[in-house]
Amino acid sequence: MGKLTSPYRWGMVIDLDRCTGCGACVVACQAENNVALCDKQQIGEGRGMHWLRIERFWVGTYPDVRVRFLPVLCQHCHDAPCEPVCPVYASYHNPDGLNGQVYNRCVGTRYCGNNCPYAVRVFNFYQHEWPPPLADQLSPDITVRSRGVMEKCSFCIQRIRRAKEEATGEGRLVRDGEVQPACAQTCPAEALVFGNLADPHSRVARLARSPRRFQLLEQLGTHPSVYYLKGGGREHV
Amino acid sequence: MKRRTFLQLGGMTAAGALLAGCQAENEKLIPFLIPPDEGVTPGRAVYYASACRACPAGCGILVRVAEGRAKKIEGNPLHPVNRGKLCARGQALVQELYHPDRIRQPLKRSGPRGTGTFTPITWDEGLSLLAGRLKALQRDRESDRLALLTPPLQGAMAELAAGFLRAFGSPQHGTFELLAPDWLRTAQRQCFGAATLPWYDVAETRYLLSFGADFVEAHLSPVHYGHAFGRMRQHRDTVRGHFTYVGGRMSLTGASADRWLPARPGSEGTLALGLARLLLDAEWHDAAALAAHGLQRDEMLRHLAGYDLDRVAEETGLPAAAIAEVAREFASTRPSLAMVGEAVAFQSNGPEAVRAILLLNLLAGNLDRPGGVYPAGGGPGPEQTFSELFPLIAKMRDGGIKVALIQGNPVHAIPPATGFQAALAGVPFIVSCATLLDDTALEADLILPDHAALESWGEVIPQAGGRAGVVGLMQPVVTPVCDSRPFPDLLLATAQELGGKVAAAMPYPSYLELLKAVTRRRLDPAGGSDFAPVWANLLRQGGDFPPLGDSVPDYRWRSDAAFPAPARARFAGAEQEFPLHLQVYPASAFYDGRGAPFPWLQQLPDPMTTVVWDSWVEINPATAAGLGIGHGDLVEVTSPQGALRLPAVLYPGIRPDLVAIPLGQGQRGGGRYAQGRGGNPLTLLAATVAGVAPQPAWHATRVRLTRVSAQGELVTAGHPQGSYRSDLLGI
Repeated sequence: MGKLTSPYRWGMVIDLDRCTGCGACVVACQAENNVALCDKQQIGEGRGMHWLRIERFWVGTYPDVRVRFLPVLCQHCHDAPCEPVCPVYASYHNPDGLNGQVYNRCVGTRYCGNNCPYAVRVFNFYQHEWPPPLADQLSPDITVRSRGVMEKCSFCIQRIRRAKEEATGEGRLVRDGEVQPACAQTCPAEALVFGNLADPHSRVARLARSPRRFQLLEQLGTHPSVYYLKGGGREHV
Repeated sequence: MKRRTFLQLGGMTAAGALLAGCQAENEKLIPFLIPPDEGVTPGRAVYYASACRACPAGCGILVRVAEGRAKKIEGNPLHPVNRGKLCARGQALVQELYHPDRIRQPLKRSGPRGTGTFTPITWDEGLSLLAGRLKALQRDRESDRLALLTPPLQGAMAELAAGFLRAFGSPQHGTFELLAPDWLRTAQRQCFGAATLPWYDVAETRYLLSFGADFVEAHLSPVHYGHAFGRMRQHRDTVRGHFTYVGGRMSLTGASADRWLPARPGSEGTLALGLARLLLDAEWHDAAALAAHGLQRDEMLRHLAGYDLDRVAEETGLPAAAIAEVAREFASTRPSLAMVGEAVAFQSNGPEAVRAILLLNLLAGNLDRPGGVYPAGGGPGPEQTFSELFPLIAKMRDGGIKVALIQGNPVHAIPPATGFQAALAGVPFIVSCATLLDDTALEADLILPDHAALESWGEVIPQAGGRAGVVGLMQPVVTPVCDSRPFPDLLLATAQELGGKVAAAMPYPSYLELLKAVTRRRLDPAGGSDFAPVWANLLRQGGDFPPLGDSVPDYRWRSDAAFPAPARARFAGAEQEFPLHLQVYPASAFYDGRGAPFPWLQQLPDPMTTVVWDSWVEINPATAAGLGIGHGDLVEVTSPQGALRLPAVLYPGIRPDLVAIPLGQGQRGGGRYAQGRGGNPLTLLAATVAGVAPQPAWHATRVRLTRVSAQGELVTAGHPQGSYRSDLLGI
């Protein structure tokens, strides 16, 4: 029984009051995870590849107009709608609370993407290419997904595994702040904070107790691992 | 118990029972319950510290290198400017290195200029071609007919270029940067006596008032101030810093503001003086600061007599109540600070408006204090790079330049109205040191390809974003991908080819040796200690980051400084014929165009419009409706200078009398990803405004719009009008 209980429950807090919408996280994610390059036509078809997007909302009309940014990535739900619909168990839940995707099991039914209320799963409708020598930048830690495979944010699981291996080697648990996904690492405003929600003293757990906390589409009961903190103020805009 | 847990337990019990006979423990079972994580093979990688030269902010970077290939760029946590953070453009540097269309070896033009027909040659041939031309200049006693065109240079590189030109005997060094903060240095010199850039303590301020300073995407040091902005908002327990943005277009920075004041373009200086008058009238100003700077309230009020609230409200087009409220908040929420940016400075009355805003900081007592402004934010820098361009262009036009040696892409980044492109076409021999076949390289007779940033040695001195003498070091992180040579080493090799006086003046075997010598001189002027370990340590940490000094230079308002008096803004183009103001701004992904060749940045949705792979013109929905323009329509933007066809984006955050176009696209070259994409709004701009001295006035042109067709071919990643779901999400 002890083997089944992980000391980690990875989660993220996104502070919308800090987020400036700059897009650094989007490029960091592309770079870290070998996410494919898409041309104008593919994006126009709605078949762009991104594991993390920034939603932009206009509210009001000139001159009383304001903009809200909302970074949306896989919410790593604890009751994930994508998991039970996969006929081949490519979409699974790992003991750390991550919502995993096994690429070589995926047969491309796209049921999971269909069932995801956050629209964060992206499907390889094309065989994407990196014209040489652009392919030299591909990370050796991650497979390059071929056509017909569903993919999505993994909270940079390769970084988590590396940190866990290092910690295990030293006979300890992963320390708070030791592992960060590429998006949180690069965020200039430190709007994204990643960590272990199972540790009540971690930065992410403390922030997740903030009264400004909310979750995306909470009413669906998906129990996401990502918490958002409401942007304050902006009452005069 | 959840269904999933139940099944897991059930499965394990069953399997455990089966195996119990042959194996006591169930360790072997568990790997099957934990499926392998998506093909991950954790490997060892090496990190090299270097510095980013994607924009003048000069952040520190760490490059992850595995199997001899650069994989990922991260921020350097030790670097005081960006503290481990990095923007989108910095991360895309790896695509400069591995760009599929990099120039692989020296090229010689074999067809007409501008057609892009080149023949590959060897470096020996290339160098002797260049040296041959230069020797001919020397022989004909025309050494001053060589022009060097580069971005503004610093440190060892500046020394090298200056030494080369001095030894060769040419004074022609054009250093043009479209968005250079020369205007801020000039204003600081006129007000405080030193041409430095300020450092803003945004993190500790309680009230931030930005006059068109887009510090999140382009102004001075975006990552540094983006980080500070996050801290200003949510780092302090009980204080949340307030942010007011002034500007006719709600920029990405303006989008984070609590209050947006869409002042009429060119009226920002008036607004600043109006606020100053309100502060002084109500005696909300900092009397001690005024006394310390030798200023008198009564005398200032006399200067401000014309800036009563009604006039200011009328001129700026803002509600008087909002102006009065901002004045009260700015004065009472201390420490407060006012920033001024390109949207103000590039107006025809920009220089005076900038000074008015510096004065506003002084009145509120914000100078040299935590949460305020430190006027001495960095070393002195150039002020006149734009006006110095005109004599050079004139000389090129009159045949006074026979060889132009160019690094960078001035053909794309200088507004054609200055006559630069036309004058350059008359230069008999153009040499470009580009990494891609960009607009400048296409015009060149000889291309001697430069190394990518990740292959080069170099020094990156951040232009702002700190108070101390930070120097970042660039080091090669991979072996060169192409048969290219770094630009400074090209200068050294050319000097050797030339021989004689020039070679004697440049006795360095390589740029690396010069860099080491310059660094050694700076760190250890006496030259006594062993330098090798010092150098190794500098490379390990990515540069020299001295701690903040105790003594902050004391800046005082100059007693002879004139009182700021912004004139009424002037514009090129008559209002009847060209009813709309035009603002060009650096796209957050492309800066002035140097980000455009990289596919990550092209497919990154623009934060405000979510447009990908394109450029566009932003129009207020009411204006667009009046002209019969819909979202995505193809529109012709006409200015007195030229016309450009772009897709329209209906943009609720812009004044109805203003349209805006992002910079960066519209390149003829620049590799497969940038080529022929969008339009370059610089072609629309007037070079100078009648009645105003030569200054970069990029926002002083008027335009008109005409709808062409519905086929704008605009692709947005998000819903064009923004999603209605924000109400459901409760954000």
